Amino acid sequence: MNLAPIDWIIIVVYLVGCMSAGIYMRRYIRGVDDFAVAGRTMDLNLGIASLAATELGLVTVMYTAQLGYTNGFAGATMGVLMATAMYFVGRTGFVIGPLRRAGVMTIPELFEKRFGVKVRWLAGLFIVMGGVLNMGIFLRLGGEFLVVATGMPVQRLEWVMTALLGMILLYTVLGGMLSVLVTDYIQFIVKGAGIVVTSILVISSLGWSNLVHGLWQCWEGTGGGAGQTLTAHPFNPLHSSNFGWMYILWQLVFQIAVVTTWQTQISRVLSSKDEATAKRMYRRTAFYFVGRFALPGLWGAAAMVYFSQHGGLPAALQGLTANEASLRATPAFLGLLLPTGFIGLLLAAALAAEMSTDSGYLLTWATVMYNDLISPCVKKPLSPAARLFITRALVLAIGLFLLFYGLWYELPGNAFDYLAVTGNIYLASVCTLLVAGLYWRRATSQGAYAALLLGAVGPITFLVVNLLIMKAKRMGAHLPVSPSLMQEWLLNFNQRFPNAQPIHPELAGALSFVLAFLGMLVGSLLSRSPEKRNIPATEVPA
Amino acid sequence: MNDLFLLFWSVMIFASIAWYGFLLFYVGIKGGREIIVMIKTFDERNAQEKKPEPK
Repeated sequence: MNLAPIDWIIIVVYLVGCMSAGIYMRRYIRGVDDFAVAGRTMDLNLGIASLAATELGLVTVMYTAQLGYTNGFAGATMGVLMATAMYFVGRTGFVIGPLRRAGVMTIPELFEKRFGVKVRWLAGLFIVMGGVLNMGIFLRLGGEFLVVATGMPVQRLEWVMTALLGMILLYTVLGGMLSVLVTDYIQFIVKGAGIVVTSILVISSLGWSNLVHGLWQCWEGTGGGAGQTLTAHPFNPLHSSNFGWMYILWQLVFQIAVVTTWQTQISRVLSSKDEATAKRMYRRTAFYFVGRFALPGLWGAAAMVYFSQHGGLPAALQGLTANEASLRATPAFLGLLLPTGFIGLLLAAALAAEMSTDSGYLLTWATVMYNDLISPCVKKPLSPAARLFITRALVLAIGLFLLFYGLWYELPGNAFDYLAVTGNIYLASVCTLLVAGLYWRRATSQGAYAALLLGAVGPITFLVVNLLIMKAKRMGAHLPVSPSLMQEWLLNFNQRFPNAQPIHPELAGALSFVLAFLGMLVGSLLSRSPEKRNIPATEVPA
Repeated sequence: MNDLFLLFWSVMIFASIAWYGFLLFYVGIKGGREIIVMIKTFDERNAQEKKPEPK
């Protein structure tokens, strides 16, 4: 694809505007409070823009488009569940109300008040582990989108990833949450415009009835293009070929845990002016999460129909695995579809999506690292300048980790499952701790330890076992001439368990919730009743 | 049943496009004002910090 001058102008104007605004905000940073939670000055609409921008990244577009490509419109089911969960939490104030009232900077900080400093530290460790692993594929998927949509050679992926990271780090390290809020606002506008325009163009170019009939044809196996057959019902998420009841029920629990526990979302709650603002922000952002799945899902479904009606996938995608091809089909389709000028807007929107999410996540995990892992271990309080320096250094370190992890790690399944399972490393246990800590007086620190450890078992087993099975099967198919020790072990594994199947993500996810809950229940009941501590949920705000 | 699902997703998709378009302007205008207020607050704080303490 050749970018026209107008495309370049749009991209450059966006980048210069966004970077300048982000760097400008560094002058207001006086300490970690400003850096991490913007001095708790965030009002409602800025909160909506920031929450929506952070949670709709390029990685989100990639995996929701992949769901649309493989599951049709029904792929957006998770968006409906998430919106329902957001609205419920925003209406009732479940968890987020007492969290905001507690005046903490991170979730583990609250655990110290309830379960002691060691639980805070351990919870911080799990949050950072799950969060950083979860974020590990963001840069890679974002880079892939940009490379495929612009038609750049794949060899440039590393350069694209490095350039992206460099820009994000520059303003995040300097201006922290203040820069993130202002750039999120710009990115919200740019990507909102990009998403609306792209969706309208996709519908008008294919035609709505052609799109719907095309999906039916692909589902019934009568699609024209090679390999363009849907294996899941395109509209019915409950159909046995699609997600089914079990997966949807797990997702409902999972989404409630996400909106009450996911630290990047909660950091917006903690940055807001007050509890009422936080709750309103949730209610008003709820429906945005339907579009977060439904609109990129629409593009993915359209890519499936388009390629099935135009002789199959383009040559560049034909040698890829089914998983890789389904990830890259949508950017390839958009690259073919969009006219000059709109490509610039789409790329600016894609950059905005990537930058807003990465900056918000980098800042959040660095804040937890400093606040809950380093700070409790320091005997003498550090100076504000030293605290700020450490938090900035942590943002930088996580950024570098992302670059190397993104280049090295290979996705064993679809991106959505990877994100759900890595997030679950801490979601199940920390959600259990939060709910028990806020609403159950009998909860003890022993119960908290048990919940944290047991909650991580399911997702970590999923990651390790599925990676092993994938590598062992591949090794069995392509025998190396002189295998290394690890390769020999994998070959043995493949011979001993030739029919080993990967663990289903919903099983790993549901198991982690059940284990965490049981750990808290049994651990608390078997230990001595806790001393009477203040439970933030029952405190009356001053 | 399938028609109901199709109707449901059609409503969700078109309502999402409309909602994103609306928020673009609504949050665009109001959020911009909130940024200005936030910057003013920080400017005032910085100005107060720079003022010498009365002896």
